[in-house]
Amino acid sequence: MTPSSPDIPRPAARRHIRFSLSRILTLAGGTFTQLVRMKVFYFMAIFAVAVIAASFAFADLQTDGQLKLLKDVSLASMSLFSMLFAIAGTALLIPRDIEDRTLYTILCKPVPRLEYLLGKLLGVVFLIFISLILMDVLFSVVLYLKEQAIISEQVAALQNRKFATREMLEANIASVQESMMGQGLTWNLQNGVLAIFFKAIVLTGVTLLVSTFASSTIFTIMASLAIMVIGQAQSLARDTLLGQDASIVPRAIGGAVSLLFPDFKGFDIVDAVVTGSAVPALVMGKMAGLTLVYLVVHLMAAYVIFSDKEL
Amino acid sequence: MSEFPAVSIKHLTRVFRLPTLRRQSITAVDDVSFDIAPGQIYGLIGPNGSGKSTTMKVLLGLLRATQGTCAIFGRDSARVDSREDVGFLPENPYFYRHLTGRETLAFYGKLCGIRGAALKERTAELLALVELEQAADRRLSGYSKGMLQRIGLAQAIIHRPRLVVLDEPTAGVDPGGSRKIRDLILTLRGQGITVILSSHLLEQVQEVCDRVGIIYKGKLVREGLLSDLMSIEDQTEILLRNATPEVLAAVRALIAGQSATELLHLGNPRTTLERLFLDVTGGSSADSREYVK
Repeated sequence: MTPSSPDIPRPAARRHIRFSLSRILTLAGGTFTQLVRMKVFYFMAIFAVAVIAASFAFADLQTDGQLKLLKDVSLASMSLFSMLFAIAGTALLIPRDIEDRTLYTILCKPVPRLEYLLGKLLGVVFLIFISLILMDVLFSVVLYLKEQAIISEQVAALQNRKFATREMLEANIASVQESMMGQGLTWNLQNGVLAIFFKAIVLTGVTLLVSTFASSTIFTIMASLAIMVIGQAQSLARDTLLGQDASIVPRAIGGAVSLLFPDFKGFDIVDAVVTGSAVPALVMGKMAGLTLVYLVVHLMAAYVIFSDKEL
Repeated sequence: MSEFPAVSIKHLTRVFRLPTLRRQSITAVDDVSFDIAPGQIYGLIGPNGSGKSTTMKVLLGLLRATQGTCAIFGRDSARVDSREDVGFLPENPYFYRHLTGRETLAFYGKLCGIRGAALKERTAELLALVELEQAADRRLSGYSKGMLQRIGLAQAIIHRPRLVVLDEPTAGVDPGGSRKIRDLILTLRGQGITVILSSHLLEQVQEVCDRVGIIYKGKLVREGLLSDLMSIEDQTEILLRNATPEVLAAVRALIAGQSATELLHLGNPRTTLERLFLDVTGGSSADSREYVK
């Protein structure tokens, strides 16, 4: 029996688009929704507790010490959570899609594998971006309130002291305000948050690369953590191995390490911004460039592996 | 009608290298060739590990062929654009369980370039087709196996493909749910869609397929129209209704008088267990989860 096969009613013929931003955004949106519905934002509650606790802790410290502690705790928490999101969020994606065979249903649609990787990457980066913004807003509000409280306290203390002239009192108040505002909420602090974001993007790219050849989520997480630790100590290792008199073997090892593992030390400007040191725009520009280079290299490597992966 | 076969597989061979020091390998599919005409329902059957899934994966571009070619409506199946014409439901699929049924269809629709009002309309149409309108806004984590298979079938056809590949679509589904999926497959045929069906439920394959290929140890051992493969050339079946004992006795006597003819069986035909089950249960799915808000 040969059945009749009438023409199927189809919409106007769709022309396949080789590279579609719309498909990438669909995948990114799906990834973001997936992670949000896994309740990752519950971490925000921990962050909020840490920031508020830091704002009340060690009241016996000097005023600038209190602000420094608050900035230290808040930026360290932002860094920790963004790295957690980068590694755990990314590691959960591709291995799970393969295990659950969800990947089959996606790649059997006209979706090139590069778009799939880009969509996953963008979804995680967007999640990190949103969570950093939320954490940054909370941190900034708490820091501003703390700064204003300290200024009010100090101004009140000055007003209770005897000054020879009113001008001297006003000069002292202005000096306190200037000093506290320099230690409080500044635009320079946002450079620290931006550096944390850049570092998390690089880590997301690394984890994505690992997940394309890893056999499980656990392996992906462990390998990415190892790369992060190596990346953190990379500059130290390079300095040790590649001194002035280094022979060709250590140089080759150092070169391979710097190609494979990102140098995360280059993103560590948090300590500087906490102490109030200004970060030049050139440094931020270099960091953005480095992030882009690492991201492209890791994404291309991930694509080479993933495009050959047999499912 | 398409000038090309819906599927054309020529001398397909797929060898898997084993990760051993001796460089051992397994030939999962060995020189398989067949064509499927547009609009046919093709049953691909064989025991576990016979090469059915590997054949389908190569056809879908998930695996590369070691040798040979696969084409879908004349386009090399390794090309991404060939998938414009294909929908696939894998065996035991787990879709994104955090999405609702409606969101799942919207997600896959967008991947296929459908947007806006057209997507909304198509999603509603498919939810009605697979009878999941009442469960449309619930997350898939609350869906039963049968419901997952049906939403899987809906996502497979969201972009109106001309070929649908179904890998064990009724595995683990109760008879009522299985019957619904069978009816959906027949609906697809009614729309002129070509279907490749891989299943261990031979009765179901027999019920819906026009053509069948039997794969065993990687080789296509039999292939052809089901009616041709099923007929036993030297036997004839006569089915009577309300035959009296006298009529049956006369038939026996007539046959007994023929030296070259042998009566092999005379008795009441049996219904199938599936038919009996469906008659007793009223043919509905026993899955109460479908109707829980």
